[in-house]
Amino acid sequence: MISAKMVSAVTFLYLFCTVLYINYLAFRSERLGKFVSLVAWISLLIQTTAILWRWVESYQMGIGHAPLSNMYESLVFFSWCIALLYLLWEWKLKSRAMGAFVMPFAFIFIAYASLAPGISAKIDPLIPALQSNWLHAHVITCFLSYASFAFSCGVSIIYLIKLNKQEKGKKEGGLTALFPSLDSLDSLVYKTITVGFPLLTLGIVTGAAWANYAWGSYWSWDPKETWSLITWFVYALFLHARFTREWRGRRTAILSIVGFVAVIFTYFGVNYVLSGLHSYA
Amino acid sequence: MSAGKEKGFWSSLWDSLSSVRLTIPLLIILAVASIFGTVIPQNASLEEYLQVYKVTTYKILKILGFLDMYHAGWFFFLLALLSLNLLVCSLKRFRSVLKFFVQPEIRLEEGQWKAISPSRKVSQPLLPEKGLTQIQETLSRVFGRPQVLKAEGSHHLFAEKGKFSRLGFYFIHLSILVILTGALIGLYFGFRGYMNIVEGETTDRVALRSGQQTHAFGFKVKLDKFNVSFYSSGAPQEFKSTVTILEGDRKVLTEPIRVNHPLTYQGISFYQSSYGLANVEKVVLTIQDRNTGKETTVPGQIGTRAQIPGSSSAFVLTRFISDLRGGGPAFQVVLSEPNRPMETFWILQYHPEIEASRPGRYYFRVKEIEPQYYSGLQVTRDPGVWVVWSGCFLMMAGFYLAFFVSHRRVWVRLTEKKGGTLVEIAGSSRRDRLEFEKELEKIEQAIKGIFPKGEKELKKREDQK
Repeated sequence: MISAKMVSAVTFLYLFCTVLYINYLAFRSERLGKFVSLVAWISLLIQTTAILWRWVESYQMGIGHAPLSNMYESLVFFSWCIALLYLLWEWKLKSRAMGAFVMPFAFIFIAYASLAPGISAKIDPLIPALQSNWLHAHVITCFLSYASFAFSCGVSIIYLIKLNKQEKGKKEGGLTALFPSLDSLDSLVYKTITVGFPLLTLGIVTGAAWANYAWGSYWSWDPKETWSLITWFVYALFLHARFTREWRGRRTAILSIVGFVAVIFTYFGVNYVLSGLHSYA
Repeated sequence: MSAGKEKGFWSSLWDSLSSVRLTIPLLIILAVASIFGTVIPQNASLEEYLQVYKVTTYKILKILGFLDMYHAGWFFFLLALLSLNLLVCSLKRFRSVLKFFVQPEIRLEEGQWKAISPSRKVSQPLLPEKGLTQIQETLSRVFGRPQVLKAEGSHHLFAEKGKFSRLGFYFIHLSILVILTGALIGLYFGFRGYMNIVEGETTDRVALRSGQQTHAFGFKVKLDKFNVSFYSSGAPQEFKSTVTILEGDRKVLTEPIRVNHPLTYQGISFYQSSYGLANVEKVVLTIQDRNTGKETTVPGQIGTRAQIPGSSSAFVLTRFISDLRGGGPAFQVVLSEPNRPMETFWILQYHPEIEASRPGRYYFRVKEIEPQYYSGLQVTRDPGVWVVWSGCFLMMAGFYLAFFVSHRRVWVRLTEKKGGTLVEIAGSSRRDRLEFEKELEKIEQAIKGIFPKGEKELKKREDQK
């Protein structure tokens, strides 16, 4: 399949981008920065084509459906959401400093899709439970929210590194020189969560609406549902902790990382560790 | 004394209930408890529990309500406490928000001007009375219609946008109460049941999920036919129960029920949930003799010994599985040929290649099956579901208002100064201060634009003096 080959190519391109973004932090060369952004946009374009092409391929096989139906397809889409979100922010903020900490997420998930054993790139027909228009709304909102949280987690890591360096009284320089100020990092963590949280809510709501059509119950405390609610609680906690101004900076940055761990467990952990109704991805 | 103490207790209780400090531990406890609920199997059978836990552990978990945690009293209590907390929090803060709607501050006090600082200053050659209309029109054009307050010595203009964003947080918090109310309505006024119904059968009631009771529909449901179709890979493509609703003996409607396409009649919904084989009414096999190449068709029946025509060999179909590991319908065959050990193997209707690879004289294929299926239907009535959806809708509206709309307010003060007017512009925004600064800049430029040479003219007047 051509689309799967394109995905493999994008995997290596994202690795290349990650390395370049780290080099950009080290050498602070504007030309290098422009180059890595160009490579990242081209990679995203290839990945977009790969996703669309896979859609076409499924129609050629006579089982046409959107490429959002299993672990492989969701991983590729997740990686696509992260890269897209990151590049849009990069373009808006005119700062490439975060690339070294956000692009690795886009790389890891697409690499997992194309390299991990047990994840098949085969296009399978949709089983009856997945034959629903809710599939698109549910998967797209969930992964856009996951991508915002991945971004937020990356920025939180930068925040902690920078804070650590400042507290030790080290001079600003080296790899952290290009990072925005602690305050703007903190507000970026918050902003990405105010994007991710409504999307996660929408993902849970569309999932509930779908479950009500498919299983006759909008909420059945299935492990996937419960873990999405746990994730929701963690980010609700983040917003309230920040709102009361009791927790700021370090503690909210850690909370954003904890939130992303919960996202990862909701996505993978539930499938590999627990069992339930939601066994597709 | 005691009255004072009591008041202290109630007011401190009110204080904790109205504090976000209570929300934080509540969210942590709910999250941690929910984790336990996904790790400890819920509503499993005694045997399943005893495979995992020791008897004492099992007893402790049962007493603590961890085995049906999400319906345990203490979990309800936590949810009730959270609801109370967010209700009281909202009520306490509502008055200050209401002020934005009932009596917006048109005129800022001197201290407030300083607090918002730095305000932008524009000088105009006209007296406040004369310039007011033009400034009013300009503000309407570039920002929003202002309210005007004429006072002694100064005129005040106030315009605002996105004030409904102040309600966003109330929408979100209220929506949680609405959703929980919807869930309670479903719990107390709805029911959830499950039934297996064989093709041709009619029923007027369903066994409830909770306990041994049944619920009568008030009408009858007949399963006319169940169909399952498979993709060429053997994976299921569609499950379809065709049912007829009967009122007494009168047929009301005949409709298919498929996964994702439930049937709702008089508020009761039927969902395709599972299926299975009640009986195989007829099987026809094709048997090829590899020695002669001759093919014969043989009717079969589960559990009955059948002779292979023209030979002394015989076979029994011992088992039928409607879907063998995702490969579709399959029969287990026990074959006995003279002077050979008995052989047991599976033949799959949609995967004849598996049987083709088995060595031996006879090659079995399934030509035709006429199975009698039962269909597993989930039956529910949930009058609270629309309440839940309205809650969800309210929550999304709340998120939009709270996170993506910003309440922006602009104050303009006109005071007489040396035969002209000093126009001061100040603004406040709850979010996106940088964006708002650009908006203020635009307002300032527009007001300056009324008299492009205003500052110069004032200067000239001053020089003439």
